[in-house]
Amino acid sequence: MTTEFRASVVTLDAGSDDSGSLTTELYRRIEGRLAYPTDLLDIPGLLQGAILRSEHAHARLLRVDTTRARRMPGVHAVVTADDVPGVNRFGIVVRDQPVFCVDRVRYEGDAIAAVAADTRAQAQAALAAIEVEYEPLPLVSDAMTAEQQPPLHESSNLLAQERFDCGDVDKAFAACHVVIEQEYRTPRQMHAFMETEGGVAIPDGTGGIVFRVGCQSGHRDVGQLADILDLAPSRVTVEAMATGGAFGGKDELTIQPAAGILALKAGRPVMIQLGRFESCRAGMKRHPVVAKMKTGCDANGRLLAHKVDAVLDTGAYASLGPAVLENYLDHATAPLYRIHAYSVSGRLVYTNNGVSGAFRGFGGNQATFAIESQLDALARALGRCPRELRRINLRTVDEPGSRHQPVRWTVAPVDLLRQAQQSPLWTLQKETSGRWLTGTGMALGAQGNGLGDGLPDSGGGRIALTPGGRIRVEFGFADYGQNVGEAITRAVSKGLGCGCGEIDVVLGHSRGPDSGPTSASRSSVLVHGVLRRMLPLWKAAVRQQAAVLTGYSLDHLAHGPGGIFHLGQRVLSYRELAENGRLEELVADAAQDFPVAPGQEKPVGRYLQLQIATVARVAVDRLTGRVRVTDLHHITAAGRVIYPPGYLGQIEGAAVMGLGMTLTEDMPMHEARMQRNNLDQYLIPTFQDAPAQRVDVLDDTPGNDPFPVRGVGELGIEAVAPAITSAIEAATGVRVHKLPVDPGVLLKGIHRQENLA
Amino acid sequence: MQSEVNARGEVRVLRPGSAREAVTMARRWGGTYIAGASWLQPVWERDQCWPRCLVALDPRWPGFRGIERAERGLVIGALTTLDELSRHPLIHDYLPALPELLKLVAGPGVRRLGTVAGNLCAGGDLSALFLSLDARLDLVGCDGPESKSLAAGYIASQGVDLIQSITLPDSRLWRIAVDKLGHRERFSPTRATVACVHGGDRLRLAVCGEGGPRRLPITEAALNDGHSRSDVDRARLLASELESCGWQDPTLRLAIQRMVDYLLAEVGHDD
Repeated sequence: MTTEFRASVVTLDAGSDDSGSLTTELYRRIEGRLAYPTDLLDIPGLLQGAILRSEHAHARLLRVDTTRARRMPGVHAVVTADDVPGVNRFGIVVRDQPVFCVDRVRYEGDAIAAVAADTRAQAQAALAAIEVEYEPLPLVSDAMTAEQQPPLHESSNLLAQERFDCGDVDKAFAACHVVIEQEYRTPRQMHAFMETEGGVAIPDGTGGIVFRVGCQSGHRDVGQLADILDLAPSRVTVEAMATGGAFGGKDELTIQPAAGILALKAGRPVMIQLGRFESCRAGMKRHPVVAKMKTGCDANGRLLAHKVDAVLDTGAYASLGPAVLENYLDHATAPLYRIHAYSVSGRLVYTNNGVSGAFRGFGGNQATFAIESQLDALARALGRCPRELRRINLRTVDEPGSRHQPVRWTVAPVDLLRQAQQSPLWTLQKETSGRWLTGTGMALGAQGNGLGDGLPDSGGGRIALTPGGRIRVEFGFADYGQNVGEAITRAVSKGLGCGCGEIDVVLGHSRGPDSGPTSASRSSVLVHGVLRRMLPLWKAAVRQQAAVLTGYSLDHLAHGPGGIFHLGQRVLSYRELAENGRLEELVADAAQDFPVAPGQEKPVGRYLQLQIATVARVAVDRLTGRVRVTDLHHITAAGRVIYPPGYLGQIEGAAVMGLGMTLTEDMPMHEARMQRNNLDQYLIPTFQDAPAQRVDVLDDTPGNDPFPVRGVGELGIEAVAPAITSAIEAATGVRVHKLPVDPGVLLKGIHRQENLA
Repeated sequence: MQSEVNARGEVRVLRPGSAREAVTMARRWGGTYIAGASWLQPVWERDQCWPRCLVALDPRWPGFRGIERAERGLVIGALTTLDELSRHPLIHDYLPALPELLKLVAGPGVRRLGTVAGNLCAGGDLSALFLSLDARLDLVGCDGPESKSLAAGYIASQGVDLIQSITLPDSRLWRIAVDKLGHRERFSPTRATVACVHGGDRLRLAVCGEGGPRRLPITEAALNDGHSRSDVDRARLLASELESCGWQDPTLRLAIQRMVDYLLAEVGHDD
């Protein structure tokens, strides 16, 4: 076990960024001046599209009559399932979702038809004129009993099940001194992005079509859209525009199929932008999970046995549900801890409860909430300090992962724990009387980068010199607020020794290099890897031409600000090079597979691992049970920081998202109908709810580490919920196992304890 | 009751020239009065169901906007915005607890739109405090001006009388405490807002939120009658009164009980 504390620790401060401070791009983003899909209103001939959604959560579709709608003023196209040119199905993992329902609707919000008209009001009026006859069917609304209900698709409502085993778990439980059994429930969280799902489909005049949309994987979407529209993939172009948030909610196709079919039918560009009500009703959600966990340890606190049985509600269609199940179970094996034997299983079921899919954390944070709660409970039962119990069970950097796979950490887990134990939040006075009860708690989390489990995962990029002498860098990633463009700019600037202002980053164009999906915290890793291959190629090509143009020896030329240098003097600007050189040769492409563990025939889990310790301080109102999170201190171990404001934004933003999941956010269902449809009912945290946050970076990666940069898009959410519930327990003595925390449950617990006292 | 329409474009907005004309129009066309619309508009959007006719109120009508000192106390124009209310020097002088409460009401943008009367009509955050202060509504009716207690106004809320202003008694020497329980720190619908006013020798209590705006006369009487009761008895009495007037959630009733106890101590009821 590592005992020496060697890693460097830095507390991040956006204001201390030493490489050009906050950029113009960041201000444009903050002030809402980036061009978003919603802004594409000046496209000539633009029509407004709208989608008719099912009024029933489950019904037979008896009749869809669009006769009246077609005659409505301003209407240019009305389409139904009959008008889908190709495959009337989509879905990243399983193509089980119809573009337009044929004979059955499976959730309230399922698409039935769509209209394109001159104005949005006309489109809405035409939707209202479409006559639909339903025959309601029995609802499958309870995920726990879904498998016993009539199937929503061809076979059973069990979409997927998976199980990871290690050792003889029954024998291990028999040897336990303490066993904790508990059920955990996590909510149906909504992405609640600023900009709802939307974009424009534009016929290109030659039978093809261009999509300018908010999405997360333009290249992957091309394949699905080509099949739906019955076009060759080469006729479909997707431009993933900067969009006001995605968080996984735009990973799956959203409005693209309906907009594309309408555009082809009308022969004109069609914009569809979901309203907030529609987005709440039809948009993707986080999988609600019910998990039964049983964990045991010996008298010294060493973890011996662990059993998990989880049910994930994927709603009416699969989307990325099977992958979420896999990641949930991966995290449910407790990747940070050494457990003698485990049996971890999960079932993913269809219901009529909307659609669940990708969401920041991707199932992992739901599992971590339960795992970390179990460890606190074991420590309590043993009368041990929870941090000490963790310490004796943490894996070392030399050990394999929880699924026996090779893993690559950036620091020893015990170092992370030690740093968390030094948080100043532990030293703040605990208020035990008065109105507000305060407490501090902590949780650890691990999170891997990449799609994992041997799934095809690769990406590439391109660098070129433009005719105007600018450095153009292209990646297929989408920018939905994480500012990946700035991270690329910084890395290229550093690699070429040029200013950030000389670089143009082009993102998300399906005609450009395929970088794979913008998900799974994979972009930064691939950007770093691809640039490491690509920049030397490009530099060599540039210097070769520079040598010809200047007459200097290639070996004595170097890149620097604005161009090429010889003995410290600039001898050729990039503009001069562009004007006099052969531009077609000043292009470099590179691609790589996402790093996986060496020597594995079938990779398991994720090789590149990150860690976070979140220390939370809360104040709980003794009168009402409401919770204020006053401080969050994150100690992160995710390799080197290449863009401090972006790193801070990801960790702090994800943490506030996790805070919302912990305290207020849920989309409750009643008879398979969503009970919230706007942000005045579905309550996300506001600035007043956001705590003071501190982000420390702990890094122990050696200088020659091949993967020194990791992606932190999801890390910040990993341990927030259990840290907060641990702090609540420290303040009140009440442990919460169901999220979001119900203040009423806390109040009753506080009241009960007061009466006992 | 006027009929409703399913599209916002079909709503007819009437713009009367005076308060009396507004009342006449509302009676004739069955229109809904509208001012800031910060509460009504999202409700209509959600239900996709709008009134056929709206009667737009004009804050320039005499007495409808602003805050004045009067012999009977403080007169607040019905169309005074929540933002104006929170900033007004007279409010800071007469009701220093109110600006703090208003910080918890909606967000800055909504406070610039939302009006005092709109908040009261919706049973919003101000209701508990104004009920506990024995606020009176100055109404413009079909038969001329009229004054009615706010509590009576809630009972007879279906009429077409128009609130011109709200009169609050001079409370500068009173001890006032108010607290709100929302779902989050700010910009949350009230789950329960409790107000406690110690005005001379009398104590007044009111609550608003999920169970609706209510004075709590039975609990008040018990607190004011001079007979000492155990905390348990008082808690039972309050719980029973809350339940009887629409507060069905027992945990919320427990929270209100504890808030009341806290606020009573704040206003020095035990002194």
